[in-house]
Amino acid sequence: MKLVDVGKFGVGVYNVRGSLHAIVNYCSHEGAPLCLGLIGGTNEADPAAPGGLRRTREGQIVRCPWHNWEFDVTTGCNVADPRRRVRTYQVDVSDGEVYVSA
Amino acid sequence: MIIDTNVQPHFRSNAEIRRYLPEAHQLRAIPDVEQQWYQAPGGDYRKDLYGEHYPGSDPETVARHLFDDGGAQFAILNPLTRGNIADYLLNSRICAAVNDWLLDQWLEPDTSGRFRGTIRVNPEDPRGAVAEIERLAAHPKLVQVGVPMQSREPYGKPVFEPIWEAAAAHGLPVAVHINGGNGVDYAPTFAGHAHTYPGYAAFMPLNYFVHLATLIVEGTFGRHPGLKFVFADGGYDILTPLMWRLDTFWLSMRDQTPWVDRYPSEYLPDHVRFCSSAFDGPTEADQMQRWMEFSAKADLVMYGSSYPHWSTSSPEVTAADLKGVDAAQSEKVLWRNASELYGLAVKEATR
Repeated sequence: MKLVDVGKFGVGVYNVRGSLHAIVNYCSHEGAPLCLGLIGGTNEADPAAPGGLRRTREGQIVRCPWHNWEFDVTTGCNVADPRRRVRTYQVDVSDGEVYVSA
Repeated sequence: MIIDTNVQPHFRSNAEIRRYLPEAHQLRAIPDVEQQWYQAPGGDYRKDLYGEHYPGSDPETVARHLFDDGGAQFAILNPLTRGNIADYLLNSRICAAVNDWLLDQWLEPDTSGRFRGTIRVNPEDPRGAVAEIERLAAHPKLVQVGVPMQSREPYGKPVFEPIWEAAAAHGLPVAVHINGGNGVDYAPTFAGHAHTYPGYAAFMPLNYFVHLATLIVEGTFGRHPGLKFVFADGGYDILTPLMWRLDTFWLSMRDQTPWVDRYPSEYLPDHVRFCSSAFDGPTEADQMQRWMEFSAKADLVMYGSSYPHWSTSSPEVTAADLKGVDAAQSEKVLWRNASELYGLAVKEATR
């Protein structure tokens, strides 16, 4: 993740398996600096797996440092309730330069 | 129109249960129904009903009070057993004796068809509980399974799941009600023992929330879409703030229980009902409407008298409590929710 100092809160740019995604550094819950949270995966229910859990979406889920809300950086959607979103930005790469557009 | 969803019929005397116990258990010690430390002053039941026999023990008198005087069209009988007994196999025989007595004395002689009954089972004997459900589920007048509020583990734990699975397979809701008798006693509050009866009576019903929370969080409701729980001691008035807490924690830590695939509060309409209780609700009547609207409680609450408990609420009193609530919601509470849950067709014309 690279935190870019643009706009009011900054924008986090993530490299998810070679594809670039950008979200605002501002949690939709209470305004925490979301992009300072850990990036990783999340858990899905899998009755056949040990503990009933399966790890999934590795490298694309950011956990808010304040209250652990999970967001998918590729969509901006909260994992628990997709209606609770954070803003995403278009990312383009041109001649080796990365452009984030709002 | 009235359906009374919470009535406790009693044996004429504590010893009468022995007529229904197998010979092999006849000599065993069994607690009396009111044998416990937290006793209501003057007895647990309406003073005017103590007589030669126990309150609520004569079907004709109970029918007169509930149907003729109270105006109910149906009453769900949910008898007490005798506490959580250390010998869980004996307790399963006590449950079976109560069920056989309910059929023998109440349901089968009732030609008017207004009483419905409960299959009491002992959750500390899961195999025995499932067997008891299988033995009786086909009886058309037995409309729910009954278990005690008191439990050494919350009801969302996997050890109990076969019982709920059997109930759901037969389309029977599971009613949780504070049991009578003093077997192996558990502390009545989250933080231990209450000092006196008011502390017990006010807070004991709230234990339902631990059962409810685990049934949601451990995935029981998610795995059994047809499973319904009725919390028969009430406590619906504390539902909303506690569900807020569950919803809040789910948003933060959903990844620990991802089988909970919706807000915990979203399980309520399909899985949870409450009987009304004299102890529930705002003390100011003009706050009732607002409070009922939180968590859409008018869809969850069913009138229950708790007859013959000392706190019995008549339909008149409950209707008066609901006076500030709009007519459609009040109708749901007084009969419509129960009619849907138990499949009871209420004749619109009567009364």
